[in-house]
This record gives sequence, C-alpha cells and structure tokens, in this order.
Amino acid sequence: MITIKGCEGMKLEIGNFQVNDVVFGKKTEFSGGTLTINKEEAMTFIKEDEHITDLDIVIAKPGENTRIVPVKEAVEPRIRPDGRPVFPGVTGDVEAAGEGKVHALKGCSVLGVGMHYGSFGDGLIDMGGEGAKYTLFSELINICIVADTDEEYERFEQQKKNTAIRMATHRLAEYLGNTVKELEPDTIESFELEPVTKRKKEINDLQSVVLVMQPQSQMEEIGYNDLVYGWDMNKYVPTFMHPNEVLDGAMISGSFMPSSSKWSTYDFQNFPTIKELYKEHGKSINFLGVIMSNLNVSLEQKKRSSIFVAQMAKSLGADGAIVTEEGYGNPDADYILCIAALEDVGVKTVGISNECTGRDGASQPLVTLDEKANALVSTGNVSQLIELPPADKVIGELEALARDGLSGGWAYDEILGPSVREDGSIIMENNAMFCGDRIAGWSTKTMKEF
Amino acid sequence: MKAIHYINQFFAGIGGEEKADHKPEIREGLVGPSLALNSMLDAEVTHTIVCGDNYMGSNTEEAVSTILGFLEGKEFDIFVAGPAFQAGRYGVACGTICKAVKEKFNVPVLTSMNEENPGVEMFKRDVVIFKGGKSAAKLRDDVKVMAEYGNKVLTGKALGPADEEGYFSRGIRSQVWLESEATAAQRGVEMLIRKLKGETYETELPIPKQDMVPIAPPIKDLSEANIALVTSGGIVPIDNPDRIQSASATRWGKYDISDIENLESGVYKTIHAGYDPTAADLDPDVVVPLDVMKEYLREGRIGKLHKYFYSTVGTGTTQAEAARMGREIVENLKEDKVDGVILTST
Repeated sequence: MITIKGCEGMKLEIGNFQVNDVVFGKKTEFSGGTLTINKEEAMTFIKEDEHITDLDIVIAKPGENTRIVPVKEAVEPRIRPDGRPVFPGVTGDVEAAGEGKVHALKGCSVLGVGMHYGSFGDGLIDMGGEGAKYTLFSELINICIVADTDEEYERFEQQKKNTAIRMATHRLAEYLGNTVKELEPDTIESFELEPVTKRKKEINDLQSVVLVMQPQSQMEEIGYNDLVYGWDMNKYVPTFMHPNEVLDGAMISGSFMPSSSKWSTYDFQNFPTIKELYKEHGKSINFLGVIMSNLNVSLEQKKRSSIFVAQMAKSLGADGAIVTEEGYGNPDADYILCIAALEDVGVKTVGISNECTGRDGASQPLVTLDEKANALVSTGNVSQLIELPPADKVIGELEALARDGLSGGWAYDEILGPSVREDGSIIMENNAMFCGDRIAGWSTKTMKEF
Repeated sequence: MKAIHYINQFFAGIGGEEKADHKPEIREGLVGPSLALNSMLDAEVTHTIVCGDNYMGSNTEEAVSTILGFLEGKEFDIFVAGPAFQAGRYGVACGTICKAVKEKFNVPVLTSMNEENPGVEMFKRDVVIFKGGKSAAKLRDDVKVMAEYGNKVLTGKALGPADEEGYFSRGIRSQVWLESEATAAQRGVEMLIRKLKGETYETELPIPKQDMVPIAPPIKDLSEANIALVTSGGIVPIDNPDRIQSASATRWGKYDISDIENLESGVYKTIHAGYDPTAADLDPDVVVPLDVMKEYLREGRIGKLHKYFYSTVGTGTTQAEAARMGREIVENLKEDKVDGVILTST
C-alpha cells in the first residue's frame, strides 16, 4: 500500500543498469555490463503460455545489417525489488505503480516479433544502414521473441490482437529484469511530484502545466487497445494520473495503430515528454500531472472526452497544457478537439503529433484543423515513401510487410510494385516504421515546407 | 551539364511593349541575362529562348508547343526562366513554360519572381519559384540564388526547405531531421513555456486555410430524384476485384446493384483497415444502406436509385487522392444525372 503523508509526494526511483552487451550463455545473469541469457530456460519460461506454439529468441545489435519485421511490441526489461509486478494487472496482480523502486536494464529492449504473420499495427526495424535512422530501436540491443501462436481465429485477419506475443514480451522483460533485482544500480533517476495542493509557494507561483495523453483506445472489441493497470481503455473516461504511474508500468501498448504513430510499452516506460516536463518542474513551470485521456470512434465520444479534459485542467488550475496523441487520421479529430477545448477554457496549449501529408507531401496534414491549434510540434509524415536495400539477415518474415496488410506495406501497386521485392529490397510508407515518428517525444524529425 | 534559358523580348534587347507580340525564337548561346546565368551555373547555357510576353499571354498554346518543339532533341539537364521581378505577364510566361517543360521533359525547372507577381500564386505549386526582387536592379542577385540552387540540383546535393533555399513553398510538407537534434519533447516544452510567457514561438504546423465546400441546396422533390450511394467505408465484392487498398487508398470501384435487394454477408465485405470490421462484414448494408434504399424505391420515396454504388477506403487516404477519386466518381454520377448522393463513411 502507498501512504502519502503531508507534503510528501509520490516518489519513484528508477535504478538504471547500463547494458553494453547481450549474449546467450549458461546462466541468466547481469554482470559487468553484459546481460547473459540461458536461451533454453528463457524459452521454457515463455512457453509456459501454451498459446506460443513455435519460438526462437534472437539478439539484434545496433549497426548489424539486420531487418526485423513484423515487430508488434517493445518493452524495457525491469524488475521491482519489492516483489510487486512490473506491469500491474498484466504480469501480476493489480497493485499501485509509480511509487518506490524499480530497476531497469537500459540500452536494450525485448521485442515481440511474428515468426510469420504480421498485422496492421506491426512495424519494421533496420538495425543498420540507411534504414536505421527511422526508428529509435535501431539504437538498442534488441532481444527478439520470434514466435508463432495458436491464435487461429486471427491468423489471416489484418487486425490482430497479437495477445500471446505481446504478453510474452512483458513477461520476458520482467524475467530478464530479475537479473538485477538484488544488484546496486549504476545510476538512480528520481521522480517526485508533491500533491497538487501541498506545493511550496515558489512552485505554486510558477505557471501550472498538465500533460494530456491520448493513448490508442478506438477498437470497440476488447483486446486491441492500450491497457491501464490491465484495463482495456476502450471502456474508460479521462482520469487524472501521476506521471510516475506512466513511467512505472501502469500503461501497456496495444495492437491497432499504424506503427509509426504507436507508443510501444518501452515508450510509456521512458516517455520523454514527461521527463522533459519534470526537468522544468520547479524551474520554469509547476508540473501538475497527467490527464490520461483516450481516443474515440464517434464524435459524441470525442467531444465528451474533450469536455472531461478541459474541465479537469481548469479545475486543477492549469495555465498551460501539452496534448499528445497516439495516432493519426481519425484520432486527429480527438487531438484537435481537445486542444481547442483547452484553449476555450483559457489553457494555453501545445500539441505534439505527426502528420499525414501523403506520398507527395501535398495533402492536408491533419484530418481536422482548427485555428486555435496555433502551437504544434510535428514529428513526421506517416506516408513518406522509404526505399531500402536488402538486409543480410531478416528476423521474422520479410514477406509479412507486403502480404499481411501492415499499414505501410502493400502486396501490389501498379506504379511502385510490391513492398517486398525478390532481392529483399523494400519500398514502404513510413507508416510501417516501428514507432517511427517517436511521438512520445524522442523525435528529432520535424516537417518543413518544400 | 547543359542548361537552356527562357527570357522575354525586353531582356533580349528586342524592345518593350511595342515588341511584346514577338514570336518565340531559339538562339544558340547567350542573350542578356543568360550571360549572368552562364557564369554562375555549373552548366553551360547552350541556348536562349526568347518570346514576347503578349504573344505568350494571348497565344499560349501555340507559344508553348513551338517552344517545346525547339527543345525536342536538345540535350539539357536544367531549364531556367526569368527572373521576372514584378513584371506580371513575364512572370506568368515563365511559370507557364516552366510547368510545360517539366511535364514534357521531366527536368528540373527554376524561375524567380517578386512576391507581387501574379505568376507566383498561379504556379508556385508546380514550379520552384525563387523570391525575387522588384526590378531588374536585382538581376544578378536573383540569378545567383537560382544558380546556387540549380548547382545543388545538378550535383545531387541535399536540398533544404523552401524557406532556407529562398523559394515560395510548393505546399509540399516533408520530413526533415533537425541538425540541432532537439527532440519533440524539448521543442514542445520550450514552445509551451514561450507561449505561457507571451513570447514569440513558431508552430511547426501552421494551420492552413480551410477548403470548405458549401452545403448544396436541398432536393425539392425526393420522389422524383435519382439517388446514388457512395462510401469510403471499403465495402466491396468479397474478392475485391479492383484491388482497392485497405489504407492509403488510390483506387475506387463501382459495383452494379440494380438486380440485388441488399448487400449480403459473404458476398460483400469491408476491406477498410481503420475500423472494426465485424459489424460491416456481418451486414454490409450497415455501411452502404442498399436494403433501405430499395425499400424507399418501392415505396416511391425516391424516384430512382443509381445503378451502381461506389466504394473506396478513407483511412490514411490523402486529401489530394480523395479529391481526385471524388472528381472521377462525380463524372459517372453526372452521366446518369444523379440528383443526390448518400455518402457514408465508417
């Protein structure tokens, strides 16, 4: 249980262990910057889920001429020394997150990769060459779970829940985190926010800011959406959350949004926009916390959420807000509506998202526009065409990009030909780059007029 | 590398207004401003084309086809017109010929005009038009900017955005990696702090002016009207015969519905990847309400139901592609004198 007394806020300490190498070996352990994995034991652990029918674990390192596709999920390996689950409601019981200590293996991630089949929201990662610049995950050592499952009901569906593979990544991330459960971290990052009404005068006198997050929750059938404490966010209304909860495993990525617009679980665990707001807290702003909103299907739902968000921001006394959406296209309506609703109640707002200006760059960048959205950060164009040479090695199955309806791939195009060519070279839309637009805040890309 | 330059009768030294009907001619070598261009461009200006501004304005088709004829069979890697400064007819002529040359020969084309020149609005989407001076006093400067950009194009060097290079935006938005490596998180928080302080900041996505379509006047008598069904909800015959894409569609299809009463599950389905297909696959009429329309037809509520329904996919589909497909579909509707359309999405 968490007890918050007096002026003390929720404090999260992330103990970081820098991983310089990942190798297979006899004993699963972390020592001298090297994470060693007993492959057989790890496979046995993953296969405890009987839905995993075929399995391999492959390590991919930065700079290798390796292409990984279809990638479904990415997770930073972590463990909580006090025994609480890393992902409450998912890898264990529902317990409060955001407070106490968590240990993290930095510089690496666990990837969930389809051995054969991909789906709409899956993506591609190139570990080296020109393609590497398109995703953050080329910079990490990736421990790839390459698996097939018995989820026959969706094998040939374009939209897949990918439940078994995604859940395997969360479980393996925690399993590997165990190696540093008892160890002393290299560095400790500390995140603490005092309760909103109990802050010191000098902090209260600063301009107050909320972060409004719009995670993907548009699929009405359960199983595709982002989870909060294990709860499918389609059945959810906006809630005030502590940023530490987001950084500490309360949020899990889903299986629906085109990949470049997606927030993987790794993104939630390391959310750069939250960290940046923390950096300015007490200096130039008073960071109130996170209004965790959602993304909806009908206009009525979108409006209802924007009303919730604007009311909460206003009642909390926010002077400013950052709104960020996990998506593009239809969710732009939620994004712009929310920004406008905040501006309408006097909250000065900045938006962070990507655009869809088409393969020729000439289309309207967002589905809906409003002049009140006058301060936007742009992180990329989902439909920019990317052509890449063959890679020496493929982890997963390359043909999935073309065959399985990945949002940025196609089996046939009269001008461009198929996404995957006979020689292994590819042509695709940025849409299929795994978390390629880095909307969580990593993106060093922007959009310019030509 | 070779270049060909287009100028008007005035800059060729032929004469002013009184010679503006001068017919197009091509000369080997350099004339007037092409001397400057030749000295700054890493390509040899082999020919200069001269044409009177009025001739180009009032006999556009002949002028363009004559000039394209001159260029036929000539080797050139780049085509430059002007600079045209504030001279309106000259600017329009430069835009016209650049656009035509680009379309026919697929070589880079460049021109330069002052922002007041009407040619800017007319051609900035099609042609790289540099922001030029008001008068010929700026000739060397304007030519220099074009030549520097031209040299980058010719040598395959990276081209910067419109603002940095100095031309009018063509309305193309494209990804750029920031040299500063400032992250979106840093940029967003900094922008917010500036906005809160009332300081100036620059949005990375200026909201363009809205392209609003006025609401059509109501149909006076529905019982006489010919109604058509159009959808962006991706309903197609089960084998998707037109191979319409599930996202970012560039294709549409039309399907005969004259002899069927509704869209049966298993015969029709949705290929749209942007929404949960369960309900639509179970009963495609929920997206394209053919069953209800047939009922209305029998009851005499509508006069006629157009023979086909039209379908494409709206998710990720760009505005430009959607507008093109819309125009193509409208041609079909006009042929059958359709009075009204029920346009369904998802």
